[in-house]
Amino acid sequence: MRVLLMGNPNVGKSAIFSRLTGSHVVVSNYPGTTVEYTRGEFLMENRTLEVVDVPGTYALEATNRAEAVASDMVEEGELIINVLDATHLERSLYLTLQLLHSGKPVIVVLNMWDEARKAGINIDTSMLENELGVPVATTCALSGEGISTLVNRLPEARSNGTVSKNGSSFWDIAAEITGKVQEPSKTESVPVKKGLREKMDRITVHPLWGPVIALLVLFASFSFVAFFGDLLHELLYDVFNLAWLPVATWISGMLGGEGLIHGILIGDLIDGAIHFEESFGLLTTGLFIPLAVVLPYIFSFYLMLSLLEDIGYLPRLGVVVDALMQRLGIHGLSVVPLMLGIGCNVPGVMAGRMLETRKERFIVATLIAIVVPCMAQQAMVIGLLGKAGIAGLAIVYGTLFLLWIILGVIMNLFLKGKATDLLMDLPPYRVPYWESLAKKIYMRMNGFIRNALPYVLLGVFVVNLFYTLGVVAFISDAFAPVVTGLFGLPGEAGAALIIGFLRKDVAVGMLAPLGMELDQLIVASVVLMVYFPCIATFVVLFRELGVRDLIKLTVIMILVVVAAGGGLHLILQATGF
Amino acid sequence: MLKSLIEMNVREEAEIISFDGGTLLNRRLEGMGIRKGKKITRVSSQYIRGPVIVSVDGRQTAMGRGMAAKLIVKPVRNNGS
Repeated sequence: MRVLLMGNPNVGKSAIFSRLTGSHVVVSNYPGTTVEYTRGEFLMENRTLEVVDVPGTYALEATNRAEAVASDMVEEGELIINVLDATHLERSLYLTLQLLHSGKPVIVVLNMWDEARKAGINIDTSMLENELGVPVATTCALSGEGISTLVNRLPEARSNGTVSKNGSSFWDIAAEITGKVQEPSKTESVPVKKGLREKMDRITVHPLWGPVIALLVLFASFSFVAFFGDLLHELLYDVFNLAWLPVATWISGMLGGEGLIHGILIGDLIDGAIHFEESFGLLTTGLFIPLAVVLPYIFSFYLMLSLLEDIGYLPRLGVVVDALMQRLGIHGLSVVPLMLGIGCNVPGVMAGRMLETRKERFIVATLIAIVVPCMAQQAMVIGLLGKAGIAGLAIVYGTLFLLWIILGVIMNLFLKGKATDLLMDLPPYRVPYWESLAKKIYMRMNGFIRNALPYVLLGVFVVNLFYTLGVVAFISDAFAPVVTGLFGLPGEAGAALIIGFLRKDVAVGMLAPLGMELDQLIVASVVLMVYFPCIATFVVLFRELGVRDLIKLTVIMILVVVAAGGGLHLILQATGF
Repeated sequence: MLKSLIEMNVREEAEIISFDGGTLLNRRLEGMGIRKGKKITRVSSQYIRGPVIVSVDGRQTAMGRGMAAKLIVKPVRNNGS
């Protein structure tokens, strides 16, 4: 049996979903659309029920893509758990009435029951049951209160075909019912308490303090990512050396220490031993870089981002940056895919689906692919430039920021189509529900491990094969004139830049020994960050955008690489950096 | 006197009279509880033509200026707050 969990956005639906289902959850695309939903299972009376966390919706009127999917799903569901925000009954009832009208069995859940009590709102649930003709349960998903009662009452869910409009609209009925069952009858008459939450509410979207706080929050967040990622990296480094090194060394010995297979799987032996950072084999550096170098930072980043999201800060950040984003043809909520892209471009591009128009989705995907450096790219560039001091890194990041603005403004000017205005509810700040936070991080990590990691390993395999077959030397020769003439880099850097599409780690390994000057390192870093992050991103861009838009994006990317790399080279030379 | 949401001052309260945008957008706003007859309070504004934040029934919503300009309201006098 399929149970649908439905409700407005930000009513605690996901927390209830986490309470009901176990650890096994799957994210799927609704067939024929790019709208995602989560499903899981739970046991009731020895039967396994499938629970679907339907995207939050205000109505079943299909005014946007998420709503269209929600109303399609209602047709297929067998039982609907309708989650309401008890502190905003009237507004939540609008969807309830539409769901009842559909004729499906419904059980109504008044979530945030404790908050409603604290705010002095009293709802007569038995009277509400009579009015709606379906069972009403009360929960506090954060503490888990009421969840077991909800589960016990699920079989009572029934349909109510008697809800009829009688000429009056659902809104009128919602207002009428709220007036009968709720005391005081209007939420707006409830005095707003001037607590810390309200102060945070006001100051984080303040016209002056909002942007200042945004910068502080971002700085603190990235410092945390760097610190915590470092810690995890050190830990995994030890794990690799203790647990994997003996195995890899044994395999190396079995393969005789050299030859084609050894070259692909283990790579070069440094002073007769495997070196995880320099051997470049599939089973050595190929496993070490994504799992022990990149993964720790991606994990720290998604931990931080999901926390900001669940606390309720991310929508406010969207408000603060909206004015800037509008000039790039996208609205403030695009910070979500753009920020996700900083972890790994793949989930970032996929999250771009939440945007309404094709123009917006293209702009966000292009910005992520070209000017949002993923953790792997950043680790690589910091490894390359970090030793030369902060000035080089500052120039690289400054250039990326400038490119981001220029590219966005140009795309907004020349791309056909409409950008949509920002429209979103700002949920009050709240303490995150840790279990659904953990689930969210798990799903985002899974996005990286399942969609990106296989391609990373494939890239390692192909590069090692190319190396052994001498293809790399050929590419190097072919691109040498461009690389030298345009970017002022040594000819050998060409191969590194091309290989970087498949293997970031090898690109650094090839660039590091070239003995480049600081200005050359800066240009090489910008070029490495601007062009396609990796083959996995390329594949996901193809899936999300289709072949025509991908070609368009590729052309833009080549233009940007040439303009940015060449321009930066000239500027650095002219200023005698 | 009628005016648009943009012309409202921060913390001013008004009653929603109409929305002069498309039907689809109108329905979306309605679904979010922003509809005719409701009391609306402007909570904040942003510099450089950023979005407007409003409060309806104690729930805050951020909306772009294009949308806000089409939302016509009637200021409430002496609301006692």
